[in-house]
Amino acid sequence: MTSHQLPHAARLQHLIDRHVFRHNALSRRALLRNGAVAGGGLVAISILGASGVGAQGMATPEASPMDEPAFMNDVDVLNYALTLEHLETAFYRDGLAKIGAAGITGLGFQEGVFDRLGEIAAHEAAHVETLTSVITQLGGTPVAEATYDFGYTDAAGFVMTSMVLENIGVSAYNGAAPYLQQSPDLLTAALTIHGVEARHASYAALLNGENPFPDAVNPYLTPAQVLEQAGPLIVGS
Amino acid sequence: MLARTLHADLLSAIAEHRASGAVSPGTRARLAAAQQAFTNDVDVVNYALTLEHLESAFYKLASQYTFGNDPFGNSIDEWLGVIGSHEDAHVEALTGVVTQLGGEPVAAAEYDFKVTDAASFLTTAAAVENLGVAAYDGAGASIQSPDILLAAGGIVAVEARHAAYLNVVTGASPFPAAVETPKTPQEVLEVAKPFIVSGM
Repeated sequence: MTSHQLPHAARLQHLIDRHVFRHNALSRRALLRNGAVAGGGLVAISILGASGVGAQGMATPEASPMDEPAFMNDVDVLNYALTLEHLETAFYRDGLAKIGAAGITGLGFQEGVFDRLGEIAAHEAAHVETLTSVITQLGGTPVAEATYDFGYTDAAGFVMTSMVLENIGVSAYNGAAPYLQQSPDLLTAALTIHGVEARHASYAALLNGENPFPDAVNPYLTPAQVLEQAGPLIVGS
Repeated sequence: MLARTLHADLLSAIAEHRASGAVSPGTRARLAAAQQAFTNDVDVVNYALTLEHLESAFYKLASQYTFGNDPFGNSIDEWLGVIGSHEDAHVEALTGVVTQLGGEPVAAAEYDFKVTDAASFLTTAAAVENLGVAAYDGAGASIQSPDILLAAGGIVAVEARHAAYLNVVTGASPFPAAVETPKTPQEVLEVAKPFIVSGM
């Protein structure tokens, strides 16, 4: 990686930085409707904490992401999701073209596995299209695709990276969901994407000989944690 | 707060269906209202708990059968054991949340899954898991507490992981569409009620 600026990673960081709570009217307390709910929240957190460290080494955050820097509005949350969907779309589109069916069968898989990966690619592209359209409808400016360096050099590396990216995606949607609670339709839409990312993650784990469902409760990632994991993959605008 | 909880309405609907083969318009209307808005987080979590009880009971049957290996060479029996332990953990966690919120956690019912062999077990497992995903997705926006939404999100992702695996095992696409299709409580009931023999 060069010392060249990383516009998309920087944009993600900017989104996060400018919404730290001391500058943000949206607070955890404001989102908690009453004390009884806050009490239940502690139980919910302990459930999440009990799930421990995921198979891919993603530490379960001990605090709620609502304690972390937040997003200012729905467009920011959706652009955060879109940033990840662009990354996934480019990964599958370019990777599958590069590796080809032969690369997948060369790993000992049936050719149907290549077709399944193609289905995943189509899903990620559909997510990009949907999120772009919703952001535009909301009057926002959708983030564009960036350039990426996923670091893999062969088909096995591609399949491994697929699992890592899908796991990040699942945990990212989960961690971002509370920011959409004031917009039930957007939250439901995000949940319906979240579930599909989890299905992809399960299948990708199978391809890697890993447990498809390593935790009883899937760990979530805060935006800052997602940036830390996915940011280095973004190398240019 | 509504005089009747969604859970009570679900039980009424099941009882009516069993008695007459149909659900009365009144019960349907209450369920329709409930799908618009759960009264509070206790109702939503109890709704999820109702389904988790069903799933937990279902996987207790797995030990009666032998399933062999999945297309990737893993023992299906072993993964079914893991899935069952997850459903047990979900029951325990959601029961704890309802209690913490000052509500009364729903209990398990009696079920008849009409499973006759390993193949019908797996088909039913896939149906139940896909139903679970659709139910959580349909109810998620009704959750008021951010922390409970986070916990529900962590659970629904695991149900989706289960569903993808069971789809693979039964020869279906692990991810049949680009987005999930959420189901209302009424739609979930339509699928779940044949499995529920008696209320709690």
